[in-house]
Amino acid sequence: MILAIETSCDETAAALLDGSGRLCANVVSSQAELHARFGGVVPEVASRRHLELIVPVLRAALEEAQTTLDEVDLVAVTQGPGLIGALLVGIAAAKAIAWSRRLPLVPVDHLLGHVAALYLDPPALEPPFLCLLASGGHTLLLEVREHASLRLLGTTLDDAAGEAFDKGARLLGLGYPGGAAIDRRAREGDASAYAFPVARVGGFDFSFSGLKTALLYEVRGLSPGELASRRADLAASYQHAIVRALVEQTLRAAKEIGAGQIAVAGGVGANSELRSVLEGAALVPLELCTDNAAMIASAARFLEPLQPSGYLGLDAYASRQLA
Amino acid sequence: MLTLALDTATPRASCALVRDGELLGERESRAVAVLVAAEELLAENGLVPGDLDRIVCGTGPGSFTGIRIGLATARTLALALDLSLAGVSTLAALAAGAPGALPVIDGSRKEVFTLAEGDPVVMRPEELVLEPGMLCVGDGAVRYRALLERAGAEVPSDASELHVVRARFHVALAAGFGPAERVEPLYLRVPDAEKALGS
Ligand SMILES: [Zn+2]
Repeated sequence: MILAIETSCDETAAALLDGSGRLCANVVSSQAELHARFGGVVPEVASRRHLELIVPVLRAALEEAQTTLDEVDLVAVTQGPGLIGALLVGIAAAKAIAWSRRLPLVPVDHLLGHVAALYLDPPALEPPFLCLLASGGHTLLLEVREHASLRLLGTTLDDAAGEAFDKGARLLGLGYPGGAAIDRRAREGDASAYAFPVARVGGFDFSFSGLKTALLYEVRGLSPGELASRRADLAASYQHAIVRALVEQTLRAAKEIGAGQIAVAGGVGANSELRSVLEGAALVPLELCTDNAAMIASAARFLEPLQPSGYLGLDAYASRQLA
Repeated sequence: MLTLALDTATPRASCALVRDGELLGERESRAVAVLVAAEELLAENGLVPGDLDRIVCGTGPGSFTGIRIGLATARTLALALDLSLAGVSTLAALAAGAPGALPVIDGSRKEVFTLAEGDPVVMRPEELVLEPGMLCVGDGAVRYRALLERAGAEVPSDASELHVVRARFHVALAAGFGPAERVEPLYLRVPDAEKALGS
C-alpha cells in the first residue's frame, strides 16, 4: 500500500493506494475559503494551515481506508513545483513516517502527479498520449511516451489558464476560486456575445494576458447595473476564448506529433466547456482534477523509491523542472 | 526512557538523543536535514526509531518555515510511532544554555524575538530593555551586537557556543507530554497578508 502526501499549494491532502491500484482513501482538505478573502493563495497563510491539518488529514486517510500504518510499505510526497514553505510541511511529514517505520520514500513531481491521475481507474490511460495540463499555476502541452517521462511541447508565456479564470472572475466580481465561478455563470450566458481575442503565439505556447486586458476594458466601459445584466454573457465569452485557445493548440500539437490519444489533466480540466469540446479525450474524474494526493500515489508506482540515505535530507523545489 | 529532541527554528538546527537524563549525542544540521542528524545519533548508539519513547520539539520563535519543518516532523513522528510529544519554546532552551542571559533570536525584518518578563515577544532591537552588563545571547544578539553593546549589554564572541540553540536543553525543560496536535507553533507574528487586511 502506498501512502501519499500533497501540500504544494492550498490543499492539504493524503491518499492510500493499494497494490492492485485501488484507491482506498483520498482526503483533501481545501483551504479555498481561508484564502478567498485575500482573493488568492497567500503562501504564509497556506503553510500555517498545512501544519494544522497534516496530522488530522493523515489520520482521516487511514480511517477512511480502515487501515493502519502497518499496512503501508511505500511513502510518496510532492517535492515540487509549488510553494516552498507549503511543500516542506508535507515533505517533513512524509520523511518522518518513512524514516520512523523504515520505509522507502518516493519524491514526486507535482506535474507528473496531475498526469498520473490519468493512470488511475477510470480512465486507466496508458501512454503514449498528448496531455493538456492546465491549472492555476501551469498550462502545459506534454508528450507522454512512458508513464513517468514527460516531454514539454508548449507552455504559457504569461498567465496560466487557471490564473486567467481567477483574474477574470475578480474583474467580474465572481469571487475566488474563479474557474468554478465563471463556469457556473457562463452556463446562463451567450458565449458569442463578445468576441474576445485568442492570442496566437509561436510553437505550441499559450498567452492569456491580452484576453484579460480585453475583459478589463469591457468591464470598465460598463456601469454597475450594465455589468450585472451582462455578467453571464461576459463570463461565457471569456471562458469560451480560454477554452478555444487551449483546444486549438492541443489539436495542432496532436496533429504535429501524430498523437492517437489526447488527455486533459489539472484543475482547469474540470471546466465543463473544455470537457465537452474535447470529444474523445481522456479526462481525469472531476474530483481528481484539482490537487490531491491520489495522483501523487499513482505517479509513485512508476518511480524509483529512495532509501533513507537518499531521502532524509530531501528538500523542496519551487519551480518547474521539466525542460 | 529514550527521548529525541529537535529544534529547527533557527538556521543552526539541533537534534539531541537523551536516555534518562544522560545525553547520548547531539548534532547540528540545516532544518531540512534534521532527520539525517537523528538517524546518525540513533545509529551511533545502535538504536532505531522504534526504540524512541518520547519526542520533544522546539516551537519557535524563529524562522516560520523552520518552525513548521520541526513541528511537522515531530507531530508526524509522534503519530507514526504512537509516542507523546512535548513542545519547548526555542527562547527558553536558548536561555537554559546561558543562565542569566537574555535570549535574542533574529526575527528578520529588523526585528528580534526575546523574552519580556518571561513572555516571548517580538520587537525592534532598539526597543530591548537592557541593563548595563546584561549578557545577551542568540543569533539576534550577534546580528545586532553593535547596537546592544552601545546600550551597555554584553554579547559573547560570535563563535561562542552560548549563541546556539541546543536540543539537549529542550529535553531538560520538557513537561506536559501529550498528543501530537496539542503542541502549537510560536510564530509571534501574523502573516503580512492578515495585517494588510486588518488595517
Ligand atoms: Zn496542481
